[in-house]
Amino acid sequence: MISFRPTEEEKQFADVARDFAAEIREAARACEEAGRPSDVLLKKAEELGFTVMELPESADGLELPLVSQAQILEALCFGDLGVVQGFPGPADADSLLRTAAAAGLDTLTADLGAQPSAFVDALQGESLPKETLRLDTANGGYRLSGNSRPMRGVKFAQRLFVAVADDTGQPAVVVLDAAADGATPWQVTEGDVRLGLLTAGVARVALEDVAVPDDAVVAIGDSASQWLTAARARVQVLQAARSVGAMQAAVDYATMYTAGRKAFGQEIAKFQGVSFTVADMAIETTAARNLVLYAAAQLDANDNAGVQSARLAAARASRSLRFVTSNGVQLLGGHGFVQDYPVEKWMRDGQAQAVLYGRESERLIEYGEALLGKGGASA
Amino acid sequence: MIEFKLTPAQKQMKDLTHWFAANEMRPISMLSDKLGKVPDEWLDKVNKMGITLAAGGGMGGSGSGSGSSGAKKDDADVDPEVKRQTNRTTVIAAEEVGWGDPAIALTLPGPGLGGPPVQGSGTPEQKQRFLSIFTKDKPRWGAYALTEPEAGSDVSNIRTTAQKVDGGYVINGQKIFITNGGRASWVVVFATVDRSAGRAGHRAFVVEQGTPGFRCSRLAHKMGMRASETAELVFEDCFVPDENLLGGEEYYAKRAEGKSGFQVAMATFDNTRPVVAAMATGIAQAAYDYTLDFVRKEYPKSGRLYQLACEKLADMEQTIQAGRLLTWEAAWKADIGQPNSKEAAMCKAYAGKNALEVCETCLELLGPAGIDGHIVEKLYRDVKVYDIFEGTNQVQHLIVARRLYDAFELRI
Ligand SMILES: Cc1cc2nc3c(=O)[nH]c(=O)nc-3n(C[C@H](O)[C@H](O)[C@H](O)COP(=O)(O)OP(=O)(O)OC[C@H]3O[C@@H](n4cnc5c(N)ncnc54)[C@H](O)[C@@H]3O)c2cc1C
Repeated sequence: MISFRPTEEEKQFADVARDFAAEIREAARACEEAGRPSDVLLKKAEELGFTVMELPESADGLELPLVSQAQILEALCFGDLGVVQGFPGPADADSLLRTAAAAGLDTLTADLGAQPSAFVDALQGESLPKETLRLDTANGGYRLSGNSRPMRGVKFAQRLFVAVADDTGQPAVVVLDAAADGATPWQVTEGDVRLGLLTAGVARVALEDVAVPDDAVVAIGDSASQWLTAARARVQVLQAARSVGAMQAAVDYATMYTAGRKAFGQEIAKFQGVSFTVADMAIETTAARNLVLYAAAQLDANDNAGVQSARLAAARASRSLRFVTSNGVQLLGGHGFVQDYPVEKWMRDGQAQAVLYGRESERLIEYGEALLGKGGASA
Repeated sequence: MIEFKLTPAQKQMKDLTHWFAANEMRPISMLSDKLGKVPDEWLDKVNKMGITLAAGGGMGGSGSGSGSSGAKKDDADVDPEVKRQTNRTTVIAAEEVGWGDPAIALTLPGPGLGGPPVQGSGTPEQKQRFLSIFTKDKPRWGAYALTEPEAGSDVSNIRTTAQKVDGGYVINGQKIFITNGGRASWVVVFATVDRSAGRAGHRAFVVEQGTPGFRCSRLAHKMGMRASETAELVFEDCFVPDENLLGGEEYYAKRAEGKSGFQVAMATFDNTRPVVAAMATGIAQAAYDYTLDFVRKEYPKSGRLYQLACEKLADMEQTIQAGRLLTWEAAWKADIGQPNSKEAAMCKAYAGKNALEVCETCLELLGPAGIDGHIVEKLYRDVKVYDIFEGTNQVQHLIVARRLYDAFELRI
């Protein structure tokens, strides 16, 4: 059957998320200035279970289907994308934990719960030489070194899941933990980030020849590769769902504003230059949402095509998010450019989201390569 | 003959301005964005160097040149196309200062957007009085205050009133988003003497800093252009003497059908839109140059990323060049004395929108690293307003479309 009807449970969960989103919206500017979500919001997000939706039950998570999560995350990010990206927990590493069992790593999740973590994926897409991590074998052990790109959650992380190639080119996943006193074997470089997602703990990781015990290399070779492919697809869907929330915020705000703002003796919505743009924004948002839900449904059904659909959803969301949030600013005119209104923040956050979650063109090339059977991880 | 060669004077101006942009503006670019202002010492220094900003050009004798410095060398006995190149020279210089840093560019001392209305409509005494203050002893600014909370694109809807009283006018109202409005020595303020008269009731006044009843109530916080001051101005029973009515009473009286303040305001736009478009082109070029350099240094020389970069770089180059040529065309038309509203609107609409897209593409090529401390993310935040101020993209579309349908006597 083809249906766009959410379940009762999803509706209820999304309603709670929507109420919470209003609080998030209200606090977003203050959080941005502080560089992190407020304690009140963090506490509430945890209480309501919004930080553990993707985690498996074995790690005390809610283990929700992607379709449900997509709806809830959209509702939350309708409040503010930046704040939600700063929620505590395992950041994108939750998808690694979620897919661990299927990758034959059943024992992994039990002891790796909702700890603040980051997923430092040095293998997705091509890395620039300056932004590579290396896993070397030395005297029977492993050593990890190099610099990552800026990634979400790194600033707050007490645990890193690092996807890296070893010296024979095999993919591996390494788990690094902070010591009991909070000291980490990695260095965090916050850098000078002004664009957006300023509450999302974006930073780089620097590793200087860190000794890695054997048991910290939790997967290597084909098993790592399959695991990463499965986890990335989920991350792509969940991130795209967040983007859709930010888009919907911009659409609703622009619609409301242009319905009230007057110029040349009438509401500016009555100019087709305005109303058609609002309509385009809404079309783009709905299109992106449906691609997200489609990929989510496939992945929930363990349909292998979901990996490819996730790439498309991610690429489209990245493009749509920029289009919609930029037009959100445009339709408010000069008011869109100043911080008295939220749309400028959504545009900055949207661009930062697009930048952090990978090159849109790369997702499309990955898709094409899988399609034509060259190189890329096959679906 | 169709050709695209800069004259030796233009070439010199371009090189000089580029040198200034690269060596004086760039080093303080990220810092000024962070501070939310251009450092005072720097402004003082460049003012002493004689660098000023005057949009629209044509300010010889006031001590300020077009664009960023005055290299006007006209050959007296050649045809007008050759003789008068002010607009072309101005956009060439404006692109370079936009390349340096657009927020700092708008903060360069000088009459700024206030210059053209004074130059175009002021009496000889007014020109002398208001344009001669831009001297090297200390930096000074002019400003242009048209926008109000309820009148942005629809400038005819301004509500600031000017009531005639003995010896002058009393101004009441509020202006928003006024570039350099807080620091300006004087502001060209548009107000209405009679709302029921519509555009014919509009007048332009020069209000000087320190005039009782005139104050800057607030500075805006913005997504970009953070180093450029954007002020809210309030006029409360602000008395302005007759001598400060731009053009004087006769100026309005003489024209039976009335060259209104509205037309003064609009005439400014045909001159300034190509300048704004040129700055947007400069921003795009800056993001492109930076990214090209990054790709050359950091990218592998083959493979998927490399191919991707090749295509995107070429696409950007083509987009930027198209914007530049549209801008030159609009400026050229102004130089030869032909109406250029359509071309001015075209270049502004094209360059304003596409410069943002170029910055987005550059960010994609820089990858996640681009978020951290690279000037491209700042240019991205700065450039959005180039599609908004001096008439939004939608308004430019309207102007272009109107000109196209004029031929069919269809008013849209
Ligand atoms: C940083 C900055 C600096 C500025 N500097 C100055 C300055 O120095 N002096 C000054 O006077 N002003 C200045 N402005 C103001 C600027 O020119 C106005 O913001 C701009 O003209 C748009 O007006 P508005 O903000 O009221 O938007 P609105 O006019 O309210 O427009 C809102 C939306 O409606 C659209 N719209 C309106 N009418 C139509 C129509 N008929 N058809 C289709 N779409 C339409 C617009 O395109 C826009 O998308 C500045 C603004 C900024 C942000």
